[in-house]
Amino acid sequence: MFSYVARRILQSIPILLIVLTLVFIVVRVLPGDPAVAALGDYASKEAVNALREKMGLNAPLWRQYLQFIGDIGRGDLGTSIITGYPVAKQVAAVLPHTLLLTISAIILGYLIGVPLGISAAVRRNSFVDYFNRVFSLLGLSVPAFYLGILLILLFSIKIPLFPVVGAGEFSNLKDLLRHLFLPALTLGLLMTAYITRMSRSSILNILGEDYVRTAHAKGVAENRVLYKHVLRNALIPIVALGGLYAVVLIGSSVMVEIVFSRPGLGTLLVGAIKQRDYTTLQSVMIIYTVIVVLINLLTDLIYGLVDPRIKYD
Amino acid sequence: MKKKHIICLAMAVFLMVCWSAADAAQPKLAKEQILNIAFDAGDLKTLDPHQAASTNDRSAVDPVHNGLVRYPPGDQVKLEPDLATSWKVSSDKKVWTFSLRKGVYFHPFPGFPKGYELTAEDVVYSLTRAADPKRSSYAGEYTGISFEAVDPYTVKITIDKPVSEPLFLAKFASYAGGFIVSKKAIETKGDEWIKINPVGTGPFMFDSYEPRQKIALKANPKYFRGAPILKQVVIRFMPAVASREFGLRTGELHIIEGLKEDKWAETVASFPDVVVKTFGPCESQVLHFNMAKPPFNDVRVRKAFSYAVSREEVAAFMGKGLAVPIYSPAQAPPAPGALTKEEAQKAGVIYENNIAEAKKLLAEAGYPDGLKIEVIISEMASSYQKPMIAIQAQVKKAGIDMALKVVDHSSFHSLIRDDASPIVYYASWRPNVDVFLTRFYHSDSVVKTGKKPDTNFTHYGAVDADGDGNVDSIDDLITKARWELDASKQAAIWREAQIQLLKHAAVVPIIRLKYNFPMKSYVDLGHPLEFSWATYSPQITEKTRILAK
Repeated sequence: MFSYVARRILQSIPILLIVLTLVFIVVRVLPGDPAVAALGDYASKEAVNALREKMGLNAPLWRQYLQFIGDIGRGDLGTSIITGYPVAKQVAAVLPHTLLLTISAIILGYLIGVPLGISAAVRRNSFVDYFNRVFSLLGLSVPAFYLGILLILLFSIKIPLFPVVGAGEFSNLKDLLRHLFLPALTLGLLMTAYITRMSRSSILNILGEDYVRTAHAKGVAENRVLYKHVLRNALIPIVALGGLYAVVLIGSSVMVEIVFSRPGLGTLLVGAIKQRDYTTLQSVMIIYTVIVVLINLLTDLIYGLVDPRIKYD
Repeated sequence: MKKKHIICLAMAVFLMVCWSAADAAQPKLAKEQILNIAFDAGDLKTLDPHQAASTNDRSAVDPVHNGLVRYPPGDQVKLEPDLATSWKVSSDKKVWTFSLRKGVYFHPFPGFPKGYELTAEDVVYSLTRAADPKRSSYAGEYTGISFEAVDPYTVKITIDKPVSEPLFLAKFASYAGGFIVSKKAIETKGDEWIKINPVGTGPFMFDSYEPRQKIALKANPKYFRGAPILKQVVIRFMPAVASREFGLRTGELHIIEGLKEDKWAETVASFPDVVVKTFGPCESQVLHFNMAKPPFNDVRVRKAFSYAVSREEVAAFMGKGLAVPIYSPAQAPPAPGALTKEEAQKAGVIYENNIAEAKKLLAEAGYPDGLKIEVIISEMASSYQKPMIAIQAQVKKAGIDMALKVVDHSSFHSLIRDDASPIVYYASWRPNVDVFLTRFYHSDSVVKTGKKPDTNFTHYGAVDADGDGNVDSIDDLITKARWELDASKQAAIWREAQIQLLKHAAVVPIIRLKYNFPMKSYVDLGHPLEFSWATYSPQITEKTRILAK
C-alpha cells in the first residue's frame, strides 16, 4: 500500500509542473498590469514603474518562471504582489473554511442522498421514486449560487434564523455552525442530488443479482437482504464516484463562498484574478491541484478498503 | 404642609420633568457600537495613504490619518484647520508657515506602545515622502516644493512658483499626499509594513486585516477632536452586490456600496430600516476621441459623433436621480473653473443632438454611408457599459456602427494606455481643474508617446485638431492658469482652455454619476452628506454613531 501511495505521489509531480507552467503563462498573457491594478488609474507612470520593479515584473519571463519554480520547490508560496502579505498565511487562514464547507457538504450529501436513493430503488416506480428522481434532477440542474440565494431569502430574510455574512470564528463553535449551515446545505443539496441518483442506480443493479433473488427465495427478511447483501455491494461505486464528485464540489464552493461572503480558496482565487496578483493566483492553483490529486488518491484508497477484491501494492 | 415645602417639592418635580424631557430628546445609542461597511472590492490594494486610490482603500485610510488642513466631512468645498491650527503666507506667496496643533499623538505601533507626539519632523518627513515618485502616486503635486521643520510645532513650506491659495492648500489637505504618516513607524518597520499596517493620528486606529475578507479599525481614545463614539469600524470586501444587499437586510451590514442605478436604488430603499444616500461630486464621464488616427483625426467626424449623442438621454437612461448631464471636459461644477451649461452654450460648444447635421458632416468627411468602429470598454456596468450602450444606440441613427468590446477593468486600463481604442469612454475624478487638464489634455500626458505618458487619450497638444495644418495645444493656457494667483482669473483661463477643447470636439462630456450608498436608518454619520470626494463614500468620523433601533 505504501509503495502504491508513494508511486501515485511521484506520478502527480509532472501533473503539478504542467499546471504550474500553464497558469504562469496564462496569467501573464492576460492583459492588465498588476501595478496599475494596485495603484489605480490616478497613479503617475513613475509610481507604476517603481512598483513593477518592486514586483519583479520587469525581469525577463524565463527568470520569473525559474524563480517561481524554485520558490515552489522550496515550499515558498511567496507574497502577494499587491499587498506583500505572505500567500502561505492567506491560504492557511482560508483553507480550513473551504475544507469545512466541502466536508460538511459531502457528509450531508451522503446522509440525505443514500437513504433517498434506497427508498427510490426499493419503491421503484412509486410516488416516492418519482419524487426522489425529480428532486435529484432539480438538484443537478439548479446552479449553486441560485440555490444559495433562495436559501438566504427563506432562512435569513423571511425567517431570520441564519446569518449571511462571513464564516464566524473557530473559537466560537455555535457562531461557526450558524454561519456554516446554509452554505453547507447549499452544496450539500447538490451532493445529495448526485448521490441519490447514484444510489438508486447502483441499488437497482444489485437488486437484480442472482444472490439477492436467492436470499429472497430462502426467506431472508427484506431489511436484512437490503442492508447486509445489497447495500454493502451498492456502496462501492457510490463511495468511489462520490469522492470524485467532491472535486466538483470544490469548484462549486467558489460561488457559494461569494454568495455567502465566506473566506475560502474560491474567494482568494477570484480576488487574485481580478487584481492580477500573480503570486497568489499561482500558489492557489497549486493548492487546488494538490487537493484534486489527494482526493483522487483518497478515493482510490477508500475504494480498496470497501471492495476486498482490490489490492494495492 | 408648609409653604416652603410645597415650593421645594414643586421645584423638584419641575426639575425632574425638565431632566426627563432632555433625556428623551437625546437619541439612545445602540449597545454595540461596531459599524460594518461593505464595499464592492475583492481585497485591499494598499493602506499606504500616499498610494491608496480605490474606494475601499481610501475609506480605510481616511479615518486613520489627518492632514495639515481638511475639508469638513460631507461638505468638501472649503478648507479648515486639521493638524495645523493656523498658517500665514509671505508677501511673495512663496513661503507658507504652518503652526501645528500640540498634543496630537500617533497611534501605538510595535516599539511605541503608547504612540508618540506628532511634531514638525513627522510632517516634513511625510510630505517629502509624498513628493517621492517612487513611494507616492501623488508626487507630481509637490514638484518645486520644499519642506522645513522650523521648530517642533512649526513647518515651513516653500514653493518655487506661487499658486492660488485653494490650489496650494489642496495639496496639504487630508487626502492622498497630504495625509501625514508616522516617520518613526516607517523608518523602523518599512514601506512594505505600512501597506497593511497604517499608523496615523486619526479618530480610528488600524486593528487587523484578514485578506479578501475585512479590515478592522478601532477607536482612538486619544483623538484630538474627542474619543469616537464607535468602538470599531469593520470594512468588508464583498464584490457580489446581492450579498451586500442581504447583509444590509439582515442588519449584519450597516452601510453598503451600491450600484449607480436608479431602479436598484428604488428597490433597496423599500427594505425596512434602509435609506439610500445619494451624493456627489461624482466621477465625470467623458468620451475621448483618438485624434491621432482615422476616422477621428477629422474634426468633422468628431463633430458628427458629438451631434449624434444626447447627454440628456444618457442621463435619463442611467436614472434621473443619479445622473446629471455635464458640459465640462474637466471637473464638473461646482468645482471652481468648471464649465457650466450656460457658459458652454454661450461659447457655442454644446453640439445639441441633431442627427441630420451628424449625417451631413459624415458625408462631407467621406463617410456618406456611415462608418464602423470597435471601441474597448470596461466591464463595469454603471460607469462604462450602460452609458455606452445608450450612446451606441444613439449614434447608430447617424450611421455610426459602434461595436463594443467589453474587457475586465484592469485590462481596460492597460489597453487604453496602449492607445488601442479609437474612442475612450472614461470615468474619473480629479481634485481640481488644473490636475484634470494637465493629465488629460497636456501634450506631455499623451498616452504612449508623451514625455510623461498619462491619460491624454485624445493626443491633444500633439496633433492638428482643427485641420488647419498646425498642432493645437492648450499647454500654455494650463501653465498660465496654474501660476495665476487670482482665483477668479485662474478660473477664467481654465474655462478658456475647456472651450478650445470643445470647439475642436476633442471630447464629448456626457454625465456625472452620483454615488449610491444605502445604509440603515439608525446610522448617524454625524455630518451632512452632500459631497464626499475624498473617499467616494460616506466618511466615518469620531461623531459617527449607531442609534438604538
